[in-house]
Amino acid sequence: MNTYNPITALLIFLAISVFAYLLFRPYKGWYWLIKTNSKSNGKIVVEDILKLLYHSENANKHLNLNDIIRTLKTNDTLIVDSINKMAAHELIFMEGDAVKLTKSGSDYALRIVRAHRLWEKFLAEKTGFDRAEWHERAERKEHELTKDETDILASKLGNPQFDPHGDPIPTNTGKIAKIKGTALSELTVDTIGRIIHIKDKPDIIYKQILAEKIHIGSLIRVVDKTASRIVFHSEGESFVLAPIIAGNITVSILEKDVVVEENLARLSILKEGETAKIIGISKEIRGESRRRLLDLGFVKGADVRLDLLNPLGEPNAFLIKGTSIALRNNQASKILIKKV
Amino acid sequence: MEVKAKSACETCSHFNAEGLKRLGVNTTEVDFVVALAGNPNTGKSTVFNALTGLRQHTGNWPGKTVTRAEGAFEYNKEKYKLVDLPGTYSLLSTSEDEEVARNFILFGKPDVTVIVVDASRLERNLNLVLQILEITDRAVLCLNLMDEAERNHIEIDTRTLARYLGIPVVPTSARYDKGIPELIQTISEVANGKIICKPHRIKNIPKNIENAVQKLSLEIKKEYPEIANSRWIAFRLLEGDEHIIELLRTGEFV
Amino acid sequence: MKNKNIEHIISLSNDLRWQIGDEFHDNLAEGIYADAAEIVKDSVHKTDEKNKLRLDARIDKIITSKIWGFPIMFLILALVLWLTIIGANYPSSMLAGLLLDTVHPALKAFASSIGMPWWLDGFLIDGVYLAVAWVIAVMLPPMAIFFPLFTLLEDFGYLPRVAFNLDHLFKLSGAHGKQALTMSMGFGCNAAGVVATRIIDSPRERLIAIITNNFSLCNGRWPTQILIATIFVGAVVPNSFSSIASLSAVIGIAILGIFFMFLVSWALSKTVLKGEVSTFNLELPPYRPPRFWKTIYTSLIDRTIIVLWRAIVFAAPAGAVIWLISNVYLGDQSMAAWLISSLDGFGFLLGLNGVILVAYIVAIPANEIVIPTILMLTVLVTGIDGGAGAGVMFELDSVSATGDVLRAGGWTLLTAINLMLFSLLHNPCSTTIYTIYKETKSVKWTVVASILPVIMGFIVTFLVAQIWRLFI
Ligand SMILES: Nc1nc2c(ncn2[C@@H]2O[C@H](COP(=O)(O)OP(=O)(O)OP(=O)(O)O)[C@@H](O)[C@H]2O)c(=O)[nH]1
Ligand SMILES: [Mg+2]
Repeated sequence: MNTYNPITALLIFLAISVFAYLLFRPYKGWYWLIKTNSKSNGKIVVEDILKLLYHSENANKHLNLNDIIRTLKTNDTLIVDSINKMAAHELIFMEGDAVKLTKSGSDYALRIVRAHRLWEKFLAEKTGFDRAEWHERAERKEHELTKDETDILASKLGNPQFDPHGDPIPTNTGKIAKIKGTALSELTVDTIGRIIHIKDKPDIIYKQILAEKIHIGSLIRVVDKTASRIVFHSEGESFVLAPIIAGNITVSILEKDVVVEENLARLSILKEGETAKIIGISKEIRGESRRRLLDLGFVKGADVRLDLLNPLGEPNAFLIKGTSIALRNNQASKILIKKV
Repeated sequence: MEVKAKSACETCSHFNAEGLKRLGVNTTEVDFVVALAGNPNTGKSTVFNALTGLRQHTGNWPGKTVTRAEGAFEYNKEKYKLVDLPGTYSLLSTSEDEEVARNFILFGKPDVTVIVVDASRLERNLNLVLQILEITDRAVLCLNLMDEAERNHIEIDTRTLARYLGIPVVPTSARYDKGIPELIQTISEVANGKIICKPHRIKNIPKNIENAVQKLSLEIKKEYPEIANSRWIAFRLLEGDEHIIELLRTGEFV
Repeated sequence: MKNKNIEHIISLSNDLRWQIGDEFHDNLAEGIYADAAEIVKDSVHKTDEKNKLRLDARIDKIITSKIWGFPIMFLILALVLWLTIIGANYPSSMLAGLLLDTVHPALKAFASSIGMPWWLDGFLIDGVYLAVAWVIAVMLPPMAIFFPLFTLLEDFGYLPRVAFNLDHLFKLSGAHGKQALTMSMGFGCNAAGVVATRIIDSPRERLIAIITNNFSLCNGRWPTQILIATIFVGAVVPNSFSSIASLSAVIGIAILGIFFMFLVSWALSKTVLKGEVSTFNLELPPYRPPRFWKTIYTSLIDRTIIVLWRAIVFAAPAGAVIWLISNVYLGDQSMAAWLISSLDGFGFLLGLNGVILVAYIVAIPANEIVIPTILMLTVLVTGIDGGAGAGVMFELDSVSATGDVLRAGGWTLLTAINLMLFSLLHNPCSTTIYTIYKETKSVKWTVVASILPVIMGFIVTFLVAQIWRLFI
């Protein structure tokens, strides 16, 4: 104890803390780097390629090696190695310069797609992660789930048929539901839908569509329609297409989420003592939390009143069917009401 | 605020106060198993304590009880095991916090299910009641917290209610031991089949769902003619409940 | 069980699910409520719409108001603690007088009269009996006051309002508002608090609630806080303020615990338990006037039995262990002395001492016995003559006598403060650890929940000690 001095002790402590911080810092610490590095192995690349091929083949598009390298932002040699390996394992075969999936390759791809969509479903239903994070997280998780884990996950979720984006989830036997879409040219004004398919033949029309930067998965809303043209909004831009071109785009019609559509009031805007009638719960609230809200009495037609304001702003308590129930704003803002 | 633990019925001919013996935790060799179900904070544990003489913790907030508790009482020489359950809002959900209660109500095969409800919030409590009535035909409605309902000037016509629900309705104030003798009597009559229940079945279901349920439950009945709650199984199948599918495979719920 | 062929039923149900669409649950719930509304319309009559629940609403307005909400919570906490500290004083010293001054000598006399060998007498009466007697004298009175008060609040319906008021803070730290409820249960007993986390539906948030429950100062630790605060913190201020000072110290520690609870919840939800906050909904029940006497009676009886039981189960063997390690010699040193001197250096770094660390090791089974263990060991190492031999508790029937022993053991205000901090921040007791394991079914999380608080305790006491020594 002779050498003891509080300052030395503090300095040693400081040094240890800095070291521990460098080691364990989230995402940038050495520990994390080692952990994530060891994971980014060939398997992920292989699976990513399979998925890419699967999705393009679904869109009747065939990719060559260059397309793959361009789309996947990994190092080139790794991709080429992987492709060779995959060909050796009969997951893919070459036809001309197009890379195509074999039966077992497309089964494998389906399994990954299944894991991905189930995980998104899981994130949407059972966790509170932001929807923007779902895809990113599922991209990572899909490589980690084994087949059995995927099946368990599916049964826990009640074997859902669609992921939260409306895409069908393949079954464990590799069946996948076809979405029955409607041609964009058939839609009436004000329909909302998601582009699920773009025909790549005839070539001239396909090129035109691509030039417009229209792509699969984007949400659209038809705003105007005449015999010679169809106008729709998508991702903040306005597009004008001739019906013959629009006919090559398939859209799955989404049910109007009333929140987006009519600017009804939300429960969160209610002021103290005000009364309203519940119109419904937004589609954004899903799964368990939706069921709980319904069971608590937030059903269509119920009267609701703001009962208690919170000293910290939220949650506020709402009087519904004789009981005061506290909800955070993120839920209250997704319950639609009509003031009375 | 103490109310005398006397009830009008204690002098009735059919009520036999001598017949009740609180047995505490001694739950061996029982004749009947009775489950206490209900929304959170409706007084299930209080009823449990009144019947068994135990001191299960109670508290004025939803979620006080989180595990199953068992106790027993003897009435007219018959032994009843009573199971106190955590509160639940619904049998239709799959949430983990309600799992214990849901599983017991659905698969614990109680002889009688006592549904404890808050008399002054009857409407919201009926959500669970109507669900339970879909799966069992031996149930008793314990209309608890009657003292509060009275204080809030809420009058309940128990006969009409019983007619609608098709099960006996017993008003109680468990905290003051009011109505407990009648509750015991009713439980024993239902257990012994002296009262036959004709439980209410949910009516206001959209046509397409109702049709689907009927189709399915017909198929289920074909496979399992002896099953009582095929409708409920149909509901669960439509919800995609894996657990039910498993049970259906093994036929274990029959 | 034979497996029936029901594939056709399942495929039919899948087909039907497709037709019905995803509105199924909504429609069903609405249908059930429609039935309920019909039934209620015919069987329920409200005779007086206006007057209902007015009082409830008025109470709620105050309890959850911007101005009064938080001060009231604080005042209630202070009031409960104050009543506990003040009220426990007298019965505590009475029990100590009875069990330690009267019964203990009588037992000793009896033992020697029947010619019991010294080691058996020492083991049973000085070890087992004294430890149990201490726990009863020190623990029972505060618990017997704290629990009924807490139960009264609980029966009244105050707890859900606490959760209501605090939820936003929980949301900010990535946790669930119902954690406020489990935290409150933790003030009684951490094991109970851990079980209560079942009301939290999201697994991630439940895990956070389980790991941080230990930061609620449980009943086994209140008496330590109260005793040490009374002896050391109360002594540094003028006499007339001493009870206020010690009360504030204890409240300070409790609030510090709440602060750590938020901090750790936040840190966990940003790192290993990353994720967004899930949804929160909480039913606020009506206020119900508690049944005063009945509540007091049942919680007293319940608690008394539990405390006595724990005392026998845990304190007795611990007392025996202490007596043993003080009387088993390794060379010329007793085992206890050897342990203490080898931990002294580390203890000093933390502003504590070897005795305290050994006491915390011995007291892993139950926090209740920390103070008696510390006293016994202090007596042992300082060689104060208690007249009863090694490993025997001094006859400490008064708070000031306890203080004298501790000061003789080299305690300062720093030791006291750091002991209070360490008593807040250390591993949960064995019952809680076991409960955590049962609830999480995961060795990993059990280890995290057990080790994390000790590490924090080391860090905090270390920092306090160094800074204290630099500036004071
Ligand atoms: N006034 C009045 N209060 C009652 C009555 N029955 C129960 N209580 C009170 O209601 C509160 C809730 O009672 P519990 O028995 O804990 O309710 P529970 O249904 O077991 O609640 P959970 O376990 O949370 O589902 C307690 O404060 C009881 O004292 C009654 O008949 N009248
Ligand atoms: Mg209960």
